[in-house]
Amino acid sequence: MWTQRRWSPPIGVLIAAAAIAASGLPIRGQTPLRVAAAADLGPVLPPILEQFQAATGISTEVTYKSSAVLTTQIQNGAPFDVFFSADMGFPKRLIDAGLADAAGSADSTTAILYAKGTLVLWERKGTQLPAPSLDLLRRPALKRLAIADPERAPYGRAAVAALTSLHLYDELKPRIVTGENIAQAAQFAYSGNADAGLISMTSAVTPQMQSAGEYFVIPRDLYPPIEQGVVIVSSTKQRDAAHKLIDYILSAPVQAELAKSGLTPAK
Amino acid sequence: MDWQALALTLKLAAITTAILLAIAVPLAALVVLGRNRWLALLEAFTALALVLPPTVLGFFLLVLLGPRTAVGRAIIAVIGHPLAFSFSGLVVGSVIYSLPFAVQPLVAGFAAVEPALVDAARLLGAGSMRIVLTLLVPLAQRSLLTAGVLSFLHTVGEFGVVLMMGGDIPGATRTLSIALFDQVEGFHYAAADRTAAILLGISVVALTALYASGWSRGGRRA
Repeated sequence: MWTQRRWSPPIGVLIAAAAIAASGLPIRGQTPLRVAAAADLGPVLPPILEQFQAATGISTEVTYKSSAVLTTQIQNGAPFDVFFSADMGFPKRLIDAGLADAAGSADSTTAILYAKGTLVLWERKGTQLPAPSLDLLRRPALKRLAIADPERAPYGRAAVAALTSLHLYDELKPRIVTGENIAQAAQFAYSGNADAGLISMTSAVTPQMQSAGEYFVIPRDLYPPIEQGVVIVSSTKQRDAAHKLIDYILSAPVQAELAKSGLTPAK
Repeated sequence: MDWQALALTLKLAAITTAILLAIAVPLAALVVLGRNRWLALLEAFTALALVLPPTVLGFFLLVLLGPRTAVGRAIIAVIGHPLAFSFSGLVVGSVIYSLPFAVQPLVAGFAAVEPALVDAARLLGAGSMRIVLTLLVPLAQRSLLTAGVLSFLHTVGEFGVVLMMGGDIPGATRTLSIALFDQVEGFHYAAADRTAAILLGISVVALTALYASGWSRGGRRA
């Protein structure tokens, strides 16, 4: 019997060859400065880093996560050069472990304060609930309140502190949903899955969040100040560039810009 | 040790497995017995979750089935709350996420049944339902066991979907894998050790039991 033998390409060999070829591709030329940044900086940093690159020629790559997650990653050898936390505690932990430093600043054993954060209550427009206010937090109709994880995210810690000051935490606890970081908490509220969120002002003042909802600034006496510190990761090979970035963020014009993005300038 | 998370995870996996077996048996039978070429599309859809990142599913469940869409509002009207942040939402996510782990072993098992037996049963007047229940399922018992065990374990190991839509609520959506994530990120390494050991233990014991069951009666069967 005559059978036609079908030509079968050695697919496995082709895939393996492609994979090897791809792994050898140059991803980029010069190594950018790798920045680990707390999630509240997500809406803030991109334009600033663009201006920084225009001014200095130093390109950056940013990873936004909760401060605790970034701390864990740096503890385990993540190749970051600079770490912008949303508090002073997590960077301090890295300094004490000898993994980060604030070399060049007045006190090299403490993170460098670059801004202070503000907690707001954000709610979508057009809901059945009243506009955001402290009173909203007392309404039983508020079924789901999004906050950031208090263990991982300084803004989550501030949210719990504020609710505790208001003697509402125990009552609201079963109705709280926690995002891994403050950006996820904002997203829970923005997507409507949560009725409201205690989020960072940096998210609330973005055009997208402003057009979709309203926010109420939580009185500052209800929670300890959210002091945000930056450190240099000690294993960096780009210490000069890292210093330049920190100096740039601390410069008067950039500090003024931070104020417009929902942060309070450090100075 | 977070016993609540353990209990929740086992409950989620058990409910998901029960639902999956009920769905997967007819699906697999349709794929094997059906004579329509479009069934390849169906089979592809049942296998999607194997290759899609769980984040895609998490995104769909959170946004497309969230309160901002008509479908989402219909869901809220029926169950009284959004799928996000709820145990029922996790069940829906898990069923979709683990579907291929139930369907694929069953398709393989049903396809391995001697076609002459199926033809004979048809000639004797048996309907498809009867063929499935009295012929395919009994002959593919082991595939049914494999489908059940793999669905269960895959659901226990689910992480991405729960992280995106769960909201980390103790007793409702904080599963073991999320508890482990919380413990690691909260620097509670000793607790993380125990949680990881339990997850590893469940998987090793169940998989060993599954593969050991293939060695009964003088040798290994497929």
